[in-house]
Amino acid sequence: MLQTDVHNYLRTFFTENESPIIEESDGHIHIQLSIDMDKRLMNRPFYWQYLEKIGGVPNPMKLTLITDDSKAPEDLKGERIHFGAPRLHHIFRIAKELGSHVRMYEKVARTTLADGSISLLPWLNVNMKLSYEAEKKKDRFVSLGLNLVNGEMVDGFADQMIHLPLEPVIPDYCFTVSPLIKPASGMNRIRMYLENELLKEDHTWATQAVEKMNQDLRLLETFYTDEDDRPESYENEKEAITRQYDPKISMNVINGGLFYLHQHPLSIKRKILPYRK
Amino acid sequence: MHSPKIIFDEEWTSSLIERVEQNGPWENWQMYKMAIEAEKELLIEEFEGLRAPSHLPHLSIFPHQKEAAERVLTEMNGKAILADEVGLGKTIEAGLILKEYMIRGLVKKVLILVPASLVTQWCSELNQKFYIPAVEQRKHYVWDQCDVIVSSIDTAKREPHRSTIFEQEYDMIIIDEAHKLKNKNTKNYQFVRQLKKKFCLLLTATPVQNKLSEVFHLISILKPGHLGNEEAFAKEFKDADQHEELRQIVQKVMIRNRRSDSTMDWPKRVVKTVEIDFSEEEKELYDTVSALKNRWGNKYQWSLFPFTVLTLQRECCSSREAVYMTLKGLLGQEDMAPALKEELERIMTMVENVSRHAKAEKALELIQSIDDKVIIFTEYRATQLYLQWYFAQHGIKAVPFRGGFKRSKKDWMKQLFKDRAQVLIATEAGGEGINLQFCHHMINYDLPWNPMRIEQRIGRIHRLGQEHDVHIYNFAVANTVEDHILKTLYKKIGLFEEVIGKLDDILEKMREEELEMHISNILNHSESDGEIRIKLDNLTACIDAHEEENERVADRRA
Repeated sequence: MLQTDVHNYLRTFFTENESPIIEESDGHIHIQLSIDMDKRLMNRPFYWQYLEKIGGVPNPMKLTLITDDSKAPEDLKGERIHFGAPRLHHIFRIAKELGSHVRMYEKVARTTLADGSISLLPWLNVNMKLSYEAEKKKDRFVSLGLNLVNGEMVDGFADQMIHLPLEPVIPDYCFTVSPLIKPASGMNRIRMYLENELLKEDHTWATQAVEKMNQDLRLLETFYTDEDDRPESYENEKEAITRQYDPKISMNVINGGLFYLHQHPLSIKRKILPYRK
Repeated sequence: MHSPKIIFDEEWTSSLIERVEQNGPWENWQMYKMAIEAEKELLIEEFEGLRAPSHLPHLSIFPHQKEAAERVLTEMNGKAILADEVGLGKTIEAGLILKEYMIRGLVKKVLILVPASLVTQWCSELNQKFYIPAVEQRKHYVWDQCDVIVSSIDTAKREPHRSTIFEQEYDMIIIDEAHKLKNKNTKNYQFVRQLKKKFCLLLTATPVQNKLSEVFHLISILKPGHLGNEEAFAKEFKDADQHEELRQIVQKVMIRNRRSDSTMDWPKRVVKTVEIDFSEEEKELYDTVSALKNRWGNKYQWSLFPFTVLTLQRECCSSREAVYMTLKGLLGQEDMAPALKEELERIMTMVENVSRHAKAEKALELIQSIDDKVIIFTEYRATQLYLQWYFAQHGIKAVPFRGGFKRSKKDWMKQLFKDRAQVLIATEAGGEGINLQFCHHMINYDLPWNPMRIEQRIGRIHRLGQEHDVHIYNFAVANTVEDHILKTLYKKIGLFEEVIGKLDDILEKMREEELEMHISNILNHSESDGEIRIKLDNLTACIDAHEEENERVADRRA
């Protein structure tokens, strides 16, 4: 993430969360935090507790974030923020919380009922981080969409959605088709599908990790060969070695939701997007 | 082929079902997109390679540090001894490795054990340079409530901490100054062996790779069985230090960068010997003390004392206060032979009559002319106090620094030195681990007889991050034991050279204590200055021979 990306990200983030930008240059932004953002970001629970108790007028803080020293006004006091900054990671986490489950409808431009109303098909979407983990680790992003009427599975779902005009309320002259698959069993299908896919992959990494694990366990045995009563440290170390190497894949949901679509996700024409939005 | 376990996170699903049933709440579309964008940025698609540097844009990472971190991650599976030479930035390497594991989500719970004097420094470096929220252990409850904790072993191994720590499953343990753990019978060693850990970094600056016999226990912390069990190890590698095969096994878990290998531009070491002539009174005192050696040194009466005449001689060279303290202690003893007592009392009177101190005068003059921050190292506390007082008389502010200071006091003294005082006077024990890169001048007011300790002194200021040339002034009083050590030995073995690789080689072949013992033997048991010189020359030749041998071996290998 380049510094300009960080800058744009912050601008969208705060604007979307009722925290207006008071002042901005290419190297900084000065933000009036909303009460909610103050509570989430500024870590001052006692102030808010006290205020609520006495019923005072809330005075959320302002925040100055510097994304590029060379482009920010001279002598500006503020917090430097970059890809590794804990503040940015905090903001990432908030974005994840605030965007965890959505329900969106395709925006269909239709002004009359002349051609009859339009049907929108329900899709269940899950975006996940798959982590392949042993003593080392790698991740993969997966976005799946399941048609809750006919069970069709679409890979790369979220990437298609950003090309589609969507809105949180059902558009006029549209109706949604009732799902035949309930969300809970939809989730099961998605999970089974993924597990199946994963089993087909090449897992040399896991085999190697198990080999290393066995080798370290053998060494451990040698170390204690002369001791009839294995001390506590033996069990500890054995367990630690297993913890270190035992290969697993974890599927962590980032977010997802329900989408009601008129078009088929794969038929959506991809636009060349400007940066975000 | 092995099929890995697959774990699915159910939490999101149950929250989804709840929302469907209750018809909401549904979240913000823009945040949905931004969350995906953030997660895509954060995920790491390769097993190999370092992602940490992209999170640390303000940290300058040297190539040898990056390579070290990569090797630990890919070849060593996160278990390594980091044994770079002093000043090459082992802490940075450790921080980088820790950061990488944390970013990748492989490490969350971390215990960092360091000498008490370094707890604060470690903590602030991890926070400021690496954005790792490390916490100093101050209260008992931190052990289970905080993820990254820095503590001293001495605190950690005591109850009530001990049992709480044993309950924790650590993902990573980092131990600084780990060479202190080579004895398996110590409480510290046993404590460390019992910790539960996935990954482990042991940091040490002492060259251990050639003293392989001592490495066994260190490696057993890291990877028990890597060198077999103790009995088999002892049997198979009887002459462990010479064992090439063993050396290779050790290499698999150890990283050692040397200054001479690194391509960095080091600031220069400008070394100057400052020769000092005693004042008349001091000379008389020194000669009288020296004369004790022939008259009493080999006699029974003297053997009751816990030290040699040589000690008194060295103290004479440092300050009259140093001699005074020792003599006072001696005279307090009962049952001393009257003749000896009388003589010591006579010396005591001489000590009291010394009115000029040539060395202190020289130091003052030098400090005034430097007009910048100066560190003075002395072996004696009495000298330390005296110098502080003496400088104050001349309007120069000096702060003391001792190993025995509490952690907070050390930090405070360092800060005082940085902000308010021109001079820091440190005794030997205070040397370890403090970083004083803002200072470029150092005076060795008296010289320790262990070259490694000199290197550690220099390492306080001559390290990564030092941008200026470093000036080192070695004080030696003419025609004394100091003179011998400095001229005949230290200079010849190239102790103060810009690159310390040589010292390292020496110490790899000869134990620190061994060298120190040789030196004091020579000085104690020689009848004349001439004899001292010849013997020291022999020692130097012996060291050089080692070195030639090394070179030949290196040539052969190449």
